[in-house]
Amino acid sequence: MSSFQQGARIQLRVIQALIIRELTTRFGRENIGFLWVMAEPLLFAVLVGLLWRFQKGEMDHGVNIIAFVASGYLPFVMFRSAVNRAQGAFTANASLLYHRQVKILDILIVRFFVEMVGHLMAYLFIGTVLVALDQFPVPHDLGFFLIGWLYYCLFTLSIISVIAPLSEMSEVLEKILPVSVYIMIPFSGAFVMNSWLTPSFRDVVMLSPAVHGMEMMRYGIFGDSVYAQYSFSYPWLFFAPAITLGLYLCRRLRKHMVVE
Amino acid sequence: MIRCVNLRKSYPLGHGRKQVLQGLNVTISPGEKLGVLGRNGAGKSTFIKLVGGVEMPDSGRIERKMTVSWPLGFGGGFQGSLTGYDNARFIARIYGQEYREIRDFIEDFTELGRQLKMPVKTYSNGMKARLAFALSLAIEFDCYLIDEVILVGDQNFQRKCHEELFEKRGDRALLLASHSPDTIREYCDRAMVLHQGNAHVHDDLEEALKIYEAL
Repeated sequence: MSSFQQGARIQLRVIQALIIRELTTRFGRENIGFLWVMAEPLLFAVLVGLLWRFQKGEMDHGVNIIAFVASGYLPFVMFRSAVNRAQGAFTANASLLYHRQVKILDILIVRFFVEMVGHLMAYLFIGTVLVALDQFPVPHDLGFFLIGWLYYCLFTLSIISVIAPLSEMSEVLEKILPVSVYIMIPFSGAFVMNSWLTPSFRDVVMLSPAVHGMEMMRYGIFGDSVYAQYSFSYPWLFFAPAITLGLYLCRRLRKHMVVE
Repeated sequence: MIRCVNLRKSYPLGHGRKQVLQGLNVTISPGEKLGVLGRNGAGKSTFIKLVGGVEMPDSGRIERKMTVSWPLGFGGGFQGSLTGYDNARFIARIYGQEYREIRDFIEDFTELGRQLKMPVKTYSNGMKARLAFALSLAIEFDCYLIDEVILVGDQNFQRKCHEELFEKRGDRALLLASHSPDTIREYCDRAMVLHQGNAHVHDDLEEALKIYEAL
């Protein structure tokens, strides 16, 4: 077996072990555990959905308003909690670094993965309930939705691969970052469609790679009831350099990291 | 064999940096028992962490041609919020070993009984030492990295350590950081003295101890 294959096998083993560990430490064995991931987005989506429902009526620009809020907010919560969990993740898991085969990238990937799967399950659950209540359409094209979700995930990964090491390097950043996630709201595409915006504002918003992923997801769900605008290639102009920078920062951080 | 070539390591200290190791060279052969002597802050733990790959050197390199344990001390290596059993499961998974074998071994070695079902943060230092030792012995490394503080347990624990580490695994290499001349005399073949960022390896234990005591 080549040393690369062997290394890949070890990393897979480590990631698997870390996922199980993350789930046990985070949610414990008692309680409803994993289901907690769903509680917060569920509450928010339903409350805001209802609020808008009474303010604006049942439909907005031709789509069900509760469905629209849920489909925008759930990916955004995934992004937000992945960013929160990434900050200080390495220090919190420093004791794992006693085992040489555990790399800091494993820690980053695992934390992201747990958030991602948790929120995807939350989405599935909420979606099913809303479909049953006739407040959510049966997805127009599930595959297309998943491509959008993948783009949104790549965006999240790009951001956290930079934020996680930065939050360990500077205390100022560590304090500022949690707040700055909210700046992302207009650039996340969570609560509007591009086509609803004025052209000049739309041009600005379209610079955000997250919006492209969100529009793809919206098309996957609502189909031709919405006019989705996105590019498959543009977001890579952001992903590739951001992840490269992130990898560089992680490597640098690891070299100088003090492990108690 | 483990070869350390020109290891340098510094830590931030105020506005400057404190040079802890300044070009350390040492080779550890299979089965060799090397004592690591030095005053507090001389860099014993730093050296052991570098060999274990827990921290990275500023420059220089470490070639590991045999399997090396993680550094054994009170902290590190396991997670306080997990139970003893969960820690064992985690270790079994990342080292690709059978959990049941490890579980049987730690139950037998630690004698902690029901305590193994409790989070490790509720353990006393002595109990942590037992668990840390048991976990690393269960994996079977070619070289063990040990901080002496962990060896100070009760009689029963000391006897077990001695039996498992020095008798059953007498052919393994060992790096033992210690302040105690008696410990070094009892367990080591050679000793290195760390002082002001440099290390000198002495084949003659008494000579090493004499230099250490003169520091």
